[in-house]
Amino acid sequence: MTNIVGIDLGTTYSALAILNAIGRPEIIPSADGERLIPSAIFFDEENPDVVRIGIEAVNSRHLNAQRSVRWIKRHMGDSQYRRTIDGKDWTPVELSALILKKLKQDGAIEHGEIRDAVISVPAHFDEVRRKATMDAGTMAGLNVIGIVNEPVAAALYYATTRHVSGRILVYDLGGGTFDVTILDAKGHQMDIVCSQGDHALGGVDFDRNVLEMLEEKYKEEFGAELIDSDEDRARYEDEAEDIKRTLSRRNVAKKMLYGPAGNMRVEITREMFEQAINERMERADILIEVALEQAGIEPSGIDKVLLVGGSTRIPLVQQRLEKMFGFAPEVAVNVDECVALGAALQAGLTMLREKPDDVPVGIAGGLKDIQLTDVCNHSYGTICAPLDKETGRRVIQNRIILQKNTPLPCEVTQTFYTLTDNQDQIEVTVTQGEDTEVEYVNKIATHKFKLPPDRPAGCPVRVTYSYDVNQRMHCTFEDVESGRVLEVDLSLDQDGKVSDSDIKEKEEKIAAVGNSKVE
Amino acid sequence: MTVYLILFSIILAGSAVVIFSGVFDRFGGTTLPARLLLKASPYLSRLCEWVERIGLKESVERQKSKLVDLVRDRMSNSTESNEDSPSSGLVDMSLLNCRVQISELKENNESYDAFNVDICGTIHAEKNGCQTFITISLNDVTDGSSAPVQTWTNESSMSAFCRRVELGRLPQEVTVLSDWRTVAQIRVDGLLFARKGKRSVQLEASISSVDGNKELSRTRCVFDYDNPAHGYQNLRENAERTKVLAVALAFAVSAADNELCQSEIELIENWARDNILENSDRATEKDARKLEKVFSRTVAFFREGNKLDTCRICEEIVELAPVAQRYDILDLCLYVARADGFVAAEESALLKDLAVRLEVDTEKFRLMMEKVLPLHMYEVKDVEAILGLTSDMSNEKARRHLNREYSRWNARVTNTDPGIQSQADQMLKLITEARGQFTTEQPAGQEVEKIAAE
Repeated sequence: MTNIVGIDLGTTYSALAILNAIGRPEIIPSADGERLIPSAIFFDEENPDVVRIGIEAVNSRHLNAQRSVRWIKRHMGDSQYRRTIDGKDWTPVELSALILKKLKQDGAIEHGEIRDAVISVPAHFDEVRRKATMDAGTMAGLNVIGIVNEPVAAALYYATTRHVSGRILVYDLGGGTFDVTILDAKGHQMDIVCSQGDHALGGVDFDRNVLEMLEEKYKEEFGAELIDSDEDRARYEDEAEDIKRTLSRRNVAKKMLYGPAGNMRVEITREMFEQAINERMERADILIEVALEQAGIEPSGIDKVLLVGGSTRIPLVQQRLEKMFGFAPEVAVNVDECVALGAALQAGLTMLREKPDDVPVGIAGGLKDIQLTDVCNHSYGTICAPLDKETGRRVIQNRIILQKNTPLPCEVTQTFYTLTDNQDQIEVTVTQGEDTEVEYVNKIATHKFKLPPDRPAGCPVRVTYSYDVNQRMHCTFEDVESGRVLEVDLSLDQDGKVSDSDIKEKEEKIAAVGNSKVE
Repeated sequence: MTVYLILFSIILAGSAVVIFSGVFDRFGGTTLPARLLLKASPYLSRLCEWVERIGLKESVERQKSKLVDLVRDRMSNSTESNEDSPSSGLVDMSLLNCRVQISELKENNESYDAFNVDICGTIHAEKNGCQTFITISLNDVTDGSSAPVQTWTNESSMSAFCRRVELGRLPQEVTVLSDWRTVAQIRVDGLLFARKGKRSVQLEASISSVDGNKELSRTRCVFDYDNPAHGYQNLRENAERTKVLAVALAFAVSAADNELCQSEIELIENWARDNILENSDRATEKDARKLEKVFSRTVAFFREGNKLDTCRICEEIVELAPVAQRYDILDLCLYVARADGFVAAEESALLKDLAVRLEVDTEKFRLMMEKVLPLHMYEVKDVEAILGLTSDMSNEKARRHLNREYSRWNARVTNTDPGIQSQADQMLKLITEARGQFTTEQPAGQEVEKIAAE
């Protein structure tokens, strides 16, 4: 039987879920029996080919932090980031691929080969980061059939496990990222309305706040730094996380600090913790308000708030939401697993749409009632030079064609005009981003479009962007008078035009991941 | 008379007549021995010397005005203009004659001022039934017919006005038009004259054969036209004057914190060289040295603690410069403020004041500041100015505005440019702090009760 899986590749923890014979998602534990695997990597000192993933990697950090990697999701899409281990520069994509490889490998123990997968990403991830995630899956030997937003995956899981209806706000506060998604639900039918998110707001930031408090207290006491090595830092990061978790259950957490200048006992109260993280919580509140404004509703227009992600266990999160909406948020059966479970459901829906013959009857039956209407995650546009009404000058600007949060599938056309007489070429650029200023948007494709010669300025060029449910974008640039057309297809699983050296580099990376033995 | 003509030629030949010392005399209240020579032409050098000798720019205007009146008087005695009826006896019907009358032209339900070009008299063709066309050009002869100044077409590609109109076939070899016939209507808004005000305009009309392009008859006439719009020479002079005022404001910003840094001075000098010494390839070394000298004196002026009346400078700029040029000036001032890596509170306050006085869009200026001045450079962060909050905003409006700002910067925080990332991080922090003042305290539950009660 074809295994259809969903993967939550988290900043701090990852999980793999599979659709069972009747289309219900189930978490596949790791080889060690853990349902959640820490997204931590440790390159074995004695065996250079061995890479440890999970709790072993977390513990090994205390011994040799230089050979460990954590929170790599924070650097996804960063083309400059590298971790050099034994002379090899590992990119975020390769490191993420090692984690995915571990999940795939462990999942195959009980269920056989794992191939077709949907991987979840934060809703605010841009094309670069989504593509990087997809590439990581491919490098790990997966056939990544789609990418799903984490709040959407969570909402999918909720909708299939309990009665959910009305206007729902999904509050996803995980280890490294925060998303808020508003959707309309009616039974198993869900229509996404809008999303907002912060790429650097999550549990690791709260841990950092706690660590800062510990360092401050130590310095007050001894006048010296608490941490003087990477291993110390690794150890105290884990202690800070432990304090944070304790404060979710109790009002005070007590720890011993063993520093270079001496030892001390420290107490962190819940009040101190909440004060330290207050600014970050304000940011989350702002994004909720932004999402509500985008949806055109007030807090009273929300019928239910669903909590997703381990950091929603923090009491302050629930208190602030209750204050904002006037009712207590709903806590999932398991806030840590629902994203992976929902990703598996999304994988099933994708397979039903694209390869229905490959989907076992039982699974198809379990999924048949589920309908999901997703939206465009970002705005897409092109660069043009309109006349500024005030100055009468031409300004280079990004013009949005496909607005963010447009329901999928969608297609929008706008007409532009050539600027000069005898203009025989246009440089067309497909952009992603919300800004009108060109330097603030991503240029995801650039092509030269040849036009007929010897024409006056002002010839119309029709630009059509369409985005389908499989996250494939199609752009058409049409010279109206001559009928000439330039078509650009963009999808996450394509690299576009690549050079021979790019291909060679990619092959080397795939080989590096393939040759690594993950345990 | 000869003196007046030479003087007028000098004024017309040089394009920018701005005397830096005139700026200070007028606005600074302090005599500055230095002058800024704006255009590296011998005419301006001589003019500057002359003006200095007679003391005031206003005197130049008075002299010029006298000369213009004199020339106009002479032109009005010309026998070439003729508006009388053909039958009045003043029109020589043996020749081709033309006249221009101002009329109203209706197009697409809109009315426009237009010049009606009429002809009468005799046209000699090569043969019967000769296909002909008329070519019309317009020149400004206010300053004398020996120095006509072209009238331009008011289009994106500015070129000398010249209109060709098909006349059709002339029935005979000798055709006599006994009455005035309108052969063309020229929309006035399609023309760009050299200068504003009362102008003497010469129309030249030439009838030619289509076959062979041979000129058959030619005529000209002069008419008066009161041009309400700035002419292209006015615009050029205004632009040059504005550039000098821009340099003045840039120095004012630089000196606002009583500290002229070398980086600021160099930036202003480079801008002046690029924008005022036109075509730096053509500028001579002598011109460049003169500019250096003037700058040294200017710097000394400010280092002595002198100040400019920036209000009056801004008033003049608003009169002379279109809004696009005012944004350019503010752009220069912003870069001057950032040149030393530090934006002092005085500089920041002055920039804000200049934006108001130059009457630009406040929000647009705020976005310009955002791009040019990173947050970490500010000595004192004027949070309201940086975030675009105004005193007339209610708490609710301010909160929504800050939410929009947050959303805008949140989208930039993952930009590949580390500078933009850093700026975005700082802005998010600033907005979060500022927003704390505007958070609604009422929880949603109470809000619902309140609405129900109403």
